[in-house]
Amino acid sequence: MKRFTVPVLAALSALTLAVAIHYVFIKAPLQYSFTAEGMLNGSSLFFNQKIFYFHVTQAFMLFVAVGLAGVASAIFLKTRNPKWDDIAAASVDVAVMFGAVVLATGSIWAKAAWDTWWNWEPRLTMSLLLWLILVGYWLVRKFAGPSADRVAAGMAIFGMVGVPFIYKMVGEDSHPPSGMEGVVMNLGTEYKLAFLFSSIGFLLWFLTLVIVRVQGTRAEREARELRERGLDLGVLQ
Amino acid sequence: MKKLILLVILGLAGSAAAQPGSAAQPVAQPAAQPAPPPAEQPAPPAVPPVPKASAEELRKTCADAMNADPAFAKSIVETVDKQIDQKTIDAHNAAAAQIAENERHVIYAYAAMWILAAAFVVFLWWRQQALKAELAQLRRDLDAAAKESK
Repeated sequence: MKRFTVPVLAALSALTLAVAIHYVFIKAPLQYSFTAEGMLNGSSLFFNQKIFYFHVTQAFMLFVAVGLAGVASAIFLKTRNPKWDDIAAASVDVAVMFGAVVLATGSIWAKAAWDTWWNWEPRLTMSLLLWLILVGYWLVRKFAGPSADRVAAGMAIFGMVGVPFIYKMVGEDSHPPSGMEGVVMNLGTEYKLAFLFSSIGFLLWFLTLVIVRVQGTRAEREARELRERGLDLGVLQ
Repeated sequence: MKKLILLVILGLAGSAAAQPGSAAQPVAQPAAQPAPPPAEQPAPPAVPPVPKASAEELRKTCADAMNADPAFAKSIVETVDKQIDQKTIDAHNAAAAQIAENERHVIYAYAAMWILAAAFVVFLWWRQQALKAELAQLRRDLDAAAKESK
């Protein structure tokens, strides 16, 4: 059963993303609106709104990955069971990838919508900081020596604490508000379906990557233990 | 006497038939001749060369003509208005189409997303293969060491 988990999840993810692409580009209409006076609303995004379905869903997956890493790290610090450390490390790896995608697609969207590649708006700045914390987690795990797993676990928890701030912090004339007044909660049916399929597809993709990466971190741990045994036995230099 | 009268009648008839355009005996029409060259017209007076006017002079000429003839002025204004309207409409349509189908940024964003995802998958695969090889090597070394120690 375990053997088929990854291929099945990957196939389901690919299928759902294909449906999502169909909804995004075929079913969902162009986004624009009019003011009360019948003039075209300046915040209309037209075709550029198509970036939303993947940018926002991947941002949500980034939050999920960071949340999972934080929770797994907290459990690891409490129990010292390396299984949780493996899950945290795998989640952070995937979060770094999702974070890079969110920053890249967000920057391109900013150029299209605001005519600037970057501005130091709170949500953008916090997202960049979160991503740098995740990259820091990587570096700590690689170079911090014997206590690397515990230091890295602390960083993962620190990163998780930042997520609600990113979600709530919004500057003026840039990101729309989040929550019940936000864009996602007030989408039309066709937009909502596209967003839903995209979310499910990326959630499955996230699970696939985390499982594959957990297998990888377990193999890394095993290799580390074998190396230590070899050094103890004098087989390895 | 009768012979004399008959001769007179025949003679009159013959002379009548000999007249051109007579209905009794059609006369062959001459072949169409090329039209005679028109009478020489006097050559038109040579157009004096128009001196190159500056834009300012042309504007003044146009303004004078428009002031002199209100109908001409009205027609000029209508034509220009029509052209400006069409240009404005075309410009608005072009801008709206460009905004509505600004594919460039969407393509960039999707390309960035898939390239990063593909790079991550390749990285995972490469790391997994390296780990497999390393684990196999370590196991071989440890097994060999264990056998030697026995």
